[in-house]
Amino acid sequence: MSEDKKNKNHPDNDQDMMKLVDNLNRKEDVNLNRRAFLKASFGTTVALGLATTPFGVMSAIGNDKEDAERIEIATADELAVGEAKNFNYPTEDEPAVLVRTPDDQYVAYNNKCTHLQCPVFYEHKDNVLLCPCHKGYFDVNSGHPIAGPPQRELPKILLEVKDGKVFAVGREYRHG
Amino acid sequence: MDKKRVTFLSIFLFLAINVISLSKVIEGYYGQEYSHVYIFMIVALISTGLATIAFFLWRKEEYKR
Ligand code: FES
Repeated sequence: MSEDKKNKNHPDNDQDMMKLVDNLNRKEDVNLNRRAFLKASFGTTVALGLATTPFGVMSAIGNDKEDAERIEIATADELAVGEAKNFNYPTEDEPAVLVRTPDDQYVAYNNKCTHLQCPVFYEHKDNVLLCPCHKGYFDVNSGHPIAGPPQRELPKILLEVKDGKVFAVGREYRHG
Repeated sequence: MDKKRVTFLSIFLFLAINVISLSKVIEGYYGQEYSHVYIFMIVALISTGLATIAFFLWRKEEYKR
């Protein structure tokens, strides 16, 4: 082995050592990190702020469509007390559930869970609406969440029972 | 507190405001409460504008020699 190689890890002058110490200038290091951190935070602030605009635009566009259509969804004797049935309202791709509650009332809600849109089912045994995805529970009588992750109530479908038939006549997003 | 510090900290305040506004906007949109959508969208845009001003003020101070 040559003399040269053996000494490779031993600096022959102080110059290299000085450079290392330079590198460890703590004040500079902290400052530069702080700058990068603030820039990233600022970028996030702008991104989040601008992310609100598409919702504003979509609301402005979709605001005026009314869904007060009247549709027959069941005959009154079709469901026994404590039974439920699925239907679509107001459009074909908005699933909903009609329930005849144990105290013989008809209630209906759009059954897309307000957490992450899984379908919600009626659980006869416990008399609740249950979302199996993350164990979200909704009150059958009001559509409001009672347990689990959902925070918002299910959209309520307004019903009318007439001449032995159940009609859906409208929808309320926020209720009770 | 000097100007640099105030602008620095205010960016985090605006970040917090935007996080909350965005969540309110989304809630309002899916709950079809359009007035909430507009109010919080405006709040978010104003706070974004202020954050931009604060950022440039901070940058001027920070890189001043
Ligand atoms: S999707 Fe219903 S609880 Fe998560």
